Amino acid sequence: MARNLVSRTAMFWRIVRRLLTANYARLFVILLALGAGAAVTAALLNLQIDANKRLTTEFRALGANVIVAPKAGTASESGDAASSSTIEETILRRLPRQNDGKPIPTVGFLYLIGSVAKQGQDKFEPAVLAGTTEQGLAEVRPGVRTEFWAVEETDASACEIGAKAAAEFQVKAGDILVLRAQGREATCTVFSVVATGGAEDAQIFVPLVLAQMLGGLAGRLSLIEMSVTGRPTSIQKFIAELSRNLPEADVHGIKQFTEAEGKLYSRVSGVLSATVLLVLLLTSLCVMAGMSNIAVERKNDVGLMKAIGGSVQRVVQLFLAEAVLMGLMAGIVGSAIGILLSIQLGKAVFGVAAQPRWIVYPVAVTLTVIVSIASAFPLRHIAGIRPASVFRGEE
Amino acid sequence: MFPRWGNPRKRFRDRGAFFFTSQAMFLRLVTDSFTRRPRRKLITLAALALGMAVVTAALSVSLNIGDKLAEEFRSLGANLVVTPLADSLPLEIGGVDYRPVNAGAFLAEADLGKLKMIFWRHNIRGFAPILEAQVKATPLAVDNFPDTRGWPAVPVIGTWVNHEVKIPDGTIYTTGVEKTNPWWQLKEGRWFVEGKNECVVGKNFAKKNGLPEPRTSPGAPLQRTSLMPGNQLFTDTLSGKPGPVLDIVGVLDTGGPEDDAIIVPIEVAQKLTEERGMYRRLYVSALTKPEDAFGRKDPKAMSAAEYDRWYCSPYISSIALQIGEVLKGTDVRVIRRVAEGEGNVLRRVRTLLWLVTVAALLAAVLAVGASAAASVIERRSEIGLMKALGAGSGLVGVLLAAEQLLVAIIGGAIGYAVGIVLARMLGERVFGFTPEPKFFVLLIVLLLAAVVTLLGSAIPLRRASRYEPAPILRGE
Repeated sequence: MARNLVSRTAMFWRIVRRLLTANYARLFVILLALGAGAAVTAALLNLQIDANKRLTTEFRALGANVIVAPKAGTASESGDAASSSTIEETILRRLPRQNDGKPIPTVGFLYLIGSVAKQGQDKFEPAVLAGTTEQGLAEVRPGVRTEFWAVEETDASACEIGAKAAAEFQVKAGDILVLRAQGREATCTVFSVVATGGAEDAQIFVPLVLAQMLGGLAGRLSLIEMSVTGRPTSIQKFIAELSRNLPEADVHGIKQFTEAEGKLYSRVSGVLSATVLLVLLLTSLCVMAGMSNIAVERKNDVGLMKAIGGSVQRVVQLFLAEAVLMGLMAGIVGSAIGILLSIQLGKAVFGVAAQPRWIVYPVAVTLTVIVSIASAFPLRHIAGIRPASVFRGEE
Repeated sequence: MFPRWGNPRKRFRDRGAFFFTSQAMFLRLVTDSFTRRPRRKLITLAALALGMAVVTAALSVSLNIGDKLAEEFRSLGANLVVTPLADSLPLEIGGVDYRPVNAGAFLAEADLGKLKMIFWRHNIRGFAPILEAQVKATPLAVDNFPDTRGWPAVPVIGTWVNHEVKIPDGTIYTTGVEKTNPWWQLKEGRWFVEGKNECVVGKNFAKKNGLPEPRTSPGAPLQRTSLMPGNQLFTDTLSGKPGPVLDIVGVLDTGGPEDDAIIVPIEVAQKLTEERGMYRRLYVSALTKPEDAFGRKDPKAMSAAEYDRWYCSPYISSIALQIGEVLKGTDVRVIRRVAEGEGNVLRRVRTLLWLVTVAALLAAVLAVGASAAASVIERRSEIGLMKALGAGSGLVGVLLAAEQLLVAIIGGAIGYAVGIVLARMLGERVFGFTPEPKFFVLLIVLLLAAVVTLLGSAIPLRRASRYEPAPILRGE
């Protein structure tokens, strides 16, 4: 009779419900531990996927990492110096705009040595003039810009001056410079002073057309710099593809940055992944150990069920169903909280809210259910439990 | 704490209520609960130890990893550049300075030892002076008489490699360009030795100036083999004076303008430019703390206390200032793209690692707390029995708390030991360093274990204190 009762489905679920709700304090404790585990799992997984993507963007603070330059060695053989040490400006239009879905700041440079003086002063001194295309200079050559005059930036003849050059010519934003090269002359208004710590500190950045006019090199560029976002392998692929598409130019990565970036990226993302995986593993173990302590105490219930005629298989099913239910409850709520949490955490770490990745949710829930089932580990000897001993308090 | 009452058995007979107040009996009850059902206690202990091991490992690793990562970022090379203050404007395009050779100002090489005397001297990870010159060079010579006419001017970069610097405190510090420019890698051969007329050539230079191969057939195009270690370079200054004959010992690949240059020991460049003991540019690679809001403040606008704090923090700006203090007449500038790229990534990664640590801590704490709570919940009948025997609620609480505390301390200590081993293994295998065991981590872990177990037990204990013994003993 009893056997029939237990075997009926309705009864089965009733028992499961009673198992769960018999002791609310215990249920609460279990759900708290499992839920916390699920939340941590989901938050860390989501954050880790996000961080790996975000890192490549952070590395762009290093500035340009790919250069398109004239082919080396042609200078000595061709007599036409102007066209051999420069490349066509039209190459700019043939460059890709994006890599891995991220825009590529690209700047074309034309260098020439001219003489420069502040307007009103006659002391002309040699300086490097760098003609640049309008956009992306700040991304390609990162530095600290001071005395920035936004109004002047849009001016067709506005120029930016390196900190060292600014000190040399005693100019600040708003001043006018007179530029001379190869017998030609032009003026430009300074809109900002830039300090980079590199050669740029001694250069004057003028609009490209102005430099081309001064140098008599219409439509030419000295080199193009690009700041390509992506994982190291993606950047290598980008360089290889670009050099195939531009046989007339020399495309190469700036070794200082591409190499260090590659090394650092794998190191940093390795450290992150290792830490996250480890924490996940240990967290599951920890939750499992905590739960096992609770499971041990269930021997009385097992003993009682066996005593009233529950088969081993049925008892195992009961406890499995209980574990799965608890895992699901804790996992569904905990993982959702975890993902919400990681969005906020992403904001705290990277200043940009982390994108929720939905694959994380089912993974975290599944992990929680697995942990929950594994926590019932101490009950593996159900078959060996003798009801009489349990009731006598022997085990 | 517990007054002695003479023979506990006698007291037990006389007044049951004082049964628990006997010290000996109290201890016996506690030890019994460990020895009678060791498996159950073992599981509680395991949960606690595991949780605390997680905490220990996470703390040990994240306390060290920040510095370790900062070290890794030095592969970006120098983050400070020092030039003469009274210099004329450099005319540098693509790494070549087009100023006349002796134009501008120079700095004395002899002063460089002072760099290792600044407050943050241990954070200076390397430095290398640069002196550039230009020569005409050819690998060809007929009867040891080279003809460099018609050859283009080639940049020569004089610098240090594995140079021993005498520090004013009497020690010797070895540094050089391989520390400040780690991406300068030799494709072939070895670096030059100082004091000899040896040089390393850039890979493009080696290719362009290769030695002609004998023609296989008349009229065949001229083939060149790249210069290799073992070849010689004959040099002349631009004004036509004969320069040193250099033995090529290596080929350099930097991906930059150095690929078209000749790299020599600095004294060779000094001889060529006739600027004895001088250099023009100094690269310094320093280990720094990423600049935060405070680090970006203008030191001139700081109060005395703030200034001291800023000066004694390894911000790149404060290290730059300290270098300027020992090298007079110099302009020390931060190489922004390196410093900021490093700062950005490091800041993010550090925050992220702390977050992960806190998450691990939180999960461990909750699991341990849950396990502690569970162990109390399941002892209702025991509590009922004790109460029936005349123990007060407070006494039951103290007894259980003492038990939990004992578990916490033992579990915490085991967890700490396991955690340290774990952190070591991880540190060595995954992160490439050995975290030092820190005493205060042990304190934190023990404290955390005690607080968490007690907190975890507190709620069920409070409930337990309200139990009526009779229904529990009846099994209701």
